[in-house]
Amino acid sequence: MPRTIVGIDVGGTFTDIAILQDGQLAVHKLPSTPADPSRGITAGIDETGVDLAAADFIHGSTVATNALLEGKGGRTALVTTLGFEDVLEIGRQNRADLYDLGMERPAPLAPWQLRFGLPERIDYTGAILDDLTPESVETLLSLLKDAPVDGVAVSFLFSFLNPVHEEMLARRLAELPNGPFISISSKILPEFREYERTSTVVVNSYVGPVMARYLTQLESVLGRGLRIMQSSGGSITASLAAEQPVRTILSGPAGGVVGAFYTGVQAGYPDIITLDMGGTSTDVSLCPGRIKETTSANLGGYPVSVPMIEIHTVGAGGGSIARVDAGGALVVGPQSAGADPGPACYGRGDRITVTDANLTLGRLRPDGFLGGRMTLDLERSRALLGDLAAGVGASATDTALGIIRVVNSNMERAIRAISLERGYDPREFTLVPFGGAGPMHACELAGELGIPRVLVPGHPGILSALGVAIADVVKDYSRTVMLKGDDLDQARLDTEFRGMEQLARAELLDEELPADDMTARRFLDVRYVGQSFELTVDCPTLDSPGDLTDHIASDFYDAHLQRFGYADGELPIEVVNLRLKLELAVAKPELEPAASEGTDVAHAAIGSAEVVFAGGPVNTTLYDRDELRTGNHIAGPALLLQLDTTIVVPPGWNGEVDPYGNLILEPETV
Amino acid sequence: MPVDAISLEVFKNMFISVSEEMGVALQRTSYSTNMKERQDFSCALFNPAAEMVAQAAHQPVHLGAMPASVQAALQTFPEGLRPGDIIILNDPYMGGSHLPDITLVAPAYIDFDGGQELIGYVSNRGHHSDVGGMAPGSMPLSTELYQEGMIIPPLKLSDAGRINQELIALICRNSRTPDDRQGDLAAQIASIRVGDTRLTEIAQRYGLADTHEHMAALLDYSERLTRRRISEIPDGVYSVTDYMDDDGLTQEPVAISVAVTVAGDLLTIDFTGTAEQRPGCINAPRAVTVSASLYVVRCVVGDEAPANQGCLRPVEVITPRGSLVDPQPQRGVAGGNVETSQRITDVLLAAMSQAMPDKIPASSQGTMNNMIIGGHDISRDKPYVYYETIGGGMGARPDKDGVSGIHTHMTNTMNTPVEALEFAFPLRLRRSALRRGSGGDGLHKGGDGLIRDVEFLSPARVTVLSERRRYAPPGYHGGHHGEHGENVLLKGGYEEIHLAGKETLDVEAGDVLSIRTPGGGGWGAPADHDGHSHSH
Repeated sequence: MPRTIVGIDVGGTFTDIAILQDGQLAVHKLPSTPADPSRGITAGIDETGVDLAAADFIHGSTVATNALLEGKGGRTALVTTLGFEDVLEIGRQNRADLYDLGMERPAPLAPWQLRFGLPERIDYTGAILDDLTPESVETLLSLLKDAPVDGVAVSFLFSFLNPVHEEMLARRLAELPNGPFISISSKILPEFREYERTSTVVVNSYVGPVMARYLTQLESVLGRGLRIMQSSGGSITASLAAEQPVRTILSGPAGGVVGAFYTGVQAGYPDIITLDMGGTSTDVSLCPGRIKETTSANLGGYPVSVPMIEIHTVGAGGGSIARVDAGGALVVGPQSAGADPGPACYGRGDRITVTDANLTLGRLRPDGFLGGRMTLDLERSRALLGDLAAGVGASATDTALGIIRVVNSNMERAIRAISLERGYDPREFTLVPFGGAGPMHACELAGELGIPRVLVPGHPGILSALGVAIADVVKDYSRTVMLKGDDLDQARLDTEFRGMEQLARAELLDEELPADDMTARRFLDVRYVGQSFELTVDCPTLDSPGDLTDHIASDFYDAHLQRFGYADGELPIEVVNLRLKLELAVAKPELEPAASEGTDVAHAAIGSAEVVFAGGPVNTTLYDRDELRTGNHIAGPALLLQLDTTIVVPPGWNGEVDPYGNLILEPETV
Repeated sequence: MPVDAISLEVFKNMFISVSEEMGVALQRTSYSTNMKERQDFSCALFNPAAEMVAQAAHQPVHLGAMPASVQAALQTFPEGLRPGDIIILNDPYMGGSHLPDITLVAPAYIDFDGGQELIGYVSNRGHHSDVGGMAPGSMPLSTELYQEGMIIPPLKLSDAGRINQELIALICRNSRTPDDRQGDLAAQIASIRVGDTRLTEIAQRYGLADTHEHMAALLDYSERLTRRRISEIPDGVYSVTDYMDDDGLTQEPVAISVAVTVAGDLLTIDFTGTAEQRPGCINAPRAVTVSASLYVVRCVVGDEAPANQGCLRPVEVITPRGSLVDPQPQRGVAGGNVETSQRITDVLLAAMSQAMPDKIPASSQGTMNNMIIGGHDISRDKPYVYYETIGGGMGARPDKDGVSGIHTHMTNTMNTPVEALEFAFPLRLRRSALRRGSGGDGLHKGGDGLIRDVEFLSPARVTVLSERRRYAPPGYHGGHHGEHGENVLLKGGYEEIHLAGKETLDVEAGDVLSIRTPGGGGWGAPADHDGHSHSH
């Protein structure tokens, strides 16, 4: 009998719960309890009446993210090779903004007083040049013994080639009486580029104590184990998440992409672009039949180089503020009215936002917001929009349309960045909007980009919880090898991978995961010799015919061509990193398709209203989305109201409800 | 479609994204450490009148200098550029800055009314780590341009779509690292094609007339914003003279004088009084001086205006012909782009500090600490050239300390990771650290400089081009100066030999080069022990 799966996504405002049971998806939304998130979680579970004992329980948490962004992690020490204690602070020596004379760099998470250099050195072949001496270790221990530190990070040069010094030191650090949270770089991220690696391991030690405390408490409240969502879109046991919390640091937006991709695949559209438009920002991600990962991310100015879903964020959301700048251009964002004071129509703010523009154009109903829980002040929006329009020199309506056009052009730029700049044609993709504001903008945005189809999931507001629920168990491992020419042969690769797999399976068995049932997938990070960006390709299998290097090179050239538009078949390549993914596919309850109930939508119509589109005001039918049934046809212009979003169907767009409750929208002529 | 507040913003987004997409293509496909890791390149978009409309500037020193490249290309080919043409150049006296910076320029056309109409031009500039000349890295202590490397006047790299492979072969044959040149030039060509395609798409989508109107409107927009901000600066004449250490050949200090006149919404930057052009390599071609000026203008008036030629319309830059900041052919310029440009910004900011004392930081490190190492890598059996610039202390700000160990003003190149460096070159890093206490004391402290110690594993030839080794970065308003920089050779790893700020030398395996970069100046008199500030 298929188990029940419960996905819980705890955000700043709401705790969302998705329950997959007997082929049905049930959703639940309740206010979060930021002071102690576990209270909201247990309250939510009680309300749904799920039998926890018979369920898989997966949790998406922003505890590590918030600890980092709010500076509430532990007091962290860093141990490095002597002479490189400041690498963490120097970073790449560049500045984020060229012309800002007042620029600041985020403070290093391990302050200089807590950074220690030990005399030891390993070279680029992994050979030990200088031993790590017992004397220096003793001195360090005596310094740390009385220091009030919560965490210690260790990052020696070239430790990814030879971890012996880091491991030796870790064993001794474990003897410290105050029991700090210890992480070593050869375990957290055995890859080259010392700044990014050191930053990653320091972030891990910084958020580690907070995350460990939270998970221990949650497990004791629930009286059971659970799995935690990682930034890569896979889940992992809570105890591994507590050891390597840096892998969960961007798990918030990951759930949404996993949920959107699952929804797209089920509906028959595996090539999607996700559009998660919230109050202050919009996340976009491109999934070409798979979820794409990256290892170069940055949170709050701190590089974090573990695998995560490739997500591009742009400062454009419902709360983005519109203004006329000194040069006379209408600018929208990146400043946001946020939730407080919020858009003008919330009653407190006095700046016109994208939400106000939507409201005055009739695209958002003053009484239908959050399922009627909140009424919007249309008159306030209108009055303030009038002031802005005077500055623009256009009518209030044209100004509101302009705000939509400008914010759409910002999002268009973000989508271009993840599609055309990476060698993908958006015309071959389906746009999947979610988040509060996404479904209001999706059709017009798709039109601008030539995207032929928009898929609005049945429950766009809890897509992240759905993604969390269905996340496979995944553990990522990597190692820098730097192989080229004669060193690059099948036996060498196989030996390296087998070694990694052995360690990995042992670690997962310790977690009581069925490591032997887990699938191992091998990947290689490859580049032209001397380049400094790598592309990830599948590792050829042992019995693949022909010369190994040629095989890898050919896959690499294809990837290079796809990504950059050219590839040189003559240039030599090198294998930089090995990547191993151990996966346990979670049996996803097949949602049962519903039979068509005919095209007629009259039963769902709840009235009509005048809505302004680019061509002018149009009488527009309003529908209650919850009343729509499979097979129902929607002809634009239409507004579909539901609890946490409004779907805008412009004139010239038609929609149909598919067997899974998704609304598939397409323009009349592509 | 008439230009309005809304379409202006939409086109602004589109034009900037063209240059950004060109930059992405260039970085991702380029070959050398210098372009990929350090992002030493820039991309820009021009209207048919060769005015720069939008730029993705990764390096400020390229900011105002690229229009001169397009103009030089058009002057050399007065019959105009055809579809598929790409012009290549690096001649500092014909549109370039210094020889390692190679610039490509190409037209973008749209099929129109049975013929083809010019939409505008796209251009990119990348720093190639070696283009020949008397020392690896092509930034030697030269006495004339010919010693610095291969000079490329505006030539057709692509003629109506046919790439001139012979020309590429010639350029590569003149470099110590031909494979890198081949790869980097291919990346620049790929980037030009991306720009051409994207600009053509915009013209197809919105029409040629609208595209041109919005190019013009965007220039006017930047001009309006810049004028408005200039008019907020108090009117007056603000004059400063400062001295560079030397030109690398003699010990003679080199004066840079500037008088900045603010009158209403106009700014005049007059370098009259600056030293005559030097026999050494620190001469800055006028395009470089204009770049430094535009950088300061953007820092002072804000960067909300898109970086384009509209920003320069209310700014007049006067450079005496034959001076350090506008030399005559064929003076050496290798260090003008990297060192003199950096000092020009210091001097200009010092002048602006008189007008806006509570907005301008004290002097930053005032150098890029160029370190160029070349030789034959015995273990890998191939020649190599490694170029790095090293950050230092930022000057203290009126409201806070300066940042430590960071690139300021005219450069923003990233450092090469220690582990990437040792994988690639016969070098071993011994230290990469903050130079503690080197920032000047003050109410707000200057940022600290850096120390980078490089051990050589095989014999090499090294050129160091650096400044502020004698005259330290001054503090402002009672703040103390930062420490001047030091270049030290540890012979055999121990014996200290102090080097000049600008020097070429041969080193042996086991030698260590220690570059210690200047700290930033302090701002305001230091607080006494009770926490009160006092004046001296």
